[in-house]
Amino acid sequence: MTKRVRSKIARGSAEVAILMLLAEQPLYGFEIAKRIEERTKGALSFTLASLYPMLYELEKRGWVHGRWEANQAGRDRRYYGLTPAGKKGLVPLRREWKVFFRALDRLAGVVHA
Amino acid sequence: MPEWKALVRERMGSLGLAPLQEEAIVTELASHLEDVYEEACAQGLCKTEAIERSLAQVADWHSLLRKIQRAKHKEETMMNRRTKTLWLPGLISLTAAMVFLTISELVSLQPRFLAPGFFAAVHTSTTSTNLPLVAYLPWLGLLPFCGAAGAFLSRRAGGQRPARLAAGLFPWIALFSLVVFLTLIGQIVPFKHEWFGFVTELLLVSVPPAIALLFGVIPFLKEARPAALPSSRS
Repeated sequence: MTKRVRSKIARGSAEVAILMLLAEQPLYGFEIAKRIEERTKGALSFTLASLYPMLYELEKRGWVHGRWEANQAGRDRRYYGLTPAGKKGLVPLRREWKVFFRALDRLAGVVHA
Repeated sequence: MPEWKALVRERMGSLGLAPLQEEAIVTELASHLEDVYEEACAQGLCKTEAIERSLAQVADWHSLLRKIQRAKHKEETMMNRRTKTLWLPGLISLTAAMVFLTISELVSLQPRFLAPGFFAAVHTSTTSTNLPLVAYLPWLGLLPFCGAAGAFLSRRAGGQRPARLAAGLFPWIALFSLVVFLTLIGQIVPFKHEWFGFVTELLLVSVPPAIALLFGVIPFLKEARPAALPSSRS
């Protein structure tokens, strides 16, 4: 399993991770946490305490919208999806993160050269 | 299996929100704990271990309560956001424009700034209200700063491009609305229009200030480069 990313870095990237995941399809909180953990091979993980305040913040900003629906097991869960404002907001965020990681990559390249 | 909703309510306490909203949050958090618990059970953990894993999701319930409260005060924050990105920068821009206009009038019309005969030459009666160009021109020169201030403050508060534009052009919007309003009143209360003077006044009030303000606003329509991110040269 990949080493877990230190919490400060994870916190900064968490919002982008959630938005990118929700850009694919609406998910509920537990699913979001599971998917992020699976896809990052455990490098990023969310607990209830870290996930929901962030979801509510994004909802307040108007970037995600939650609605109650039954999940596959027939239980009501609050599914979050990206709003048009969220889709629009994600574009520069993705770009910024790409620039950031490219810069880190270059820096790492220099260090390892 | 524990009664998750009761557990969340007991540990977190009251959020101080509307009952329906609070109930929805408690239900959502409880269902997350339930999902963690069931996953743990499905992985072969005993009930006690599964409950422990669920409860480990929240180290500090009081901190969670505060974070949720902060995130959920929607109306207040939405209002603050609009106030911060539009109304406040717009009002500052308008106030600055009005202060500059007053200063231009007070300073430019002082006799010591005017050569004998200059005032008579420059103070052309361009409009029906005798708007003195000698005060108007310096004001136009200062308007870009007002527009820039409005747009800058809006951008700093996280305003989108339309909000920045509106905040920067706020003095013009206010002035133009006033002229339109007065024109409408003029239609209702009959008086003789000197059409040439009226059109000149309208143009003087609408076009040059808008252009001057735009000069100040345009640099702030670009997105600010995030301070924390390095620029890419590739």
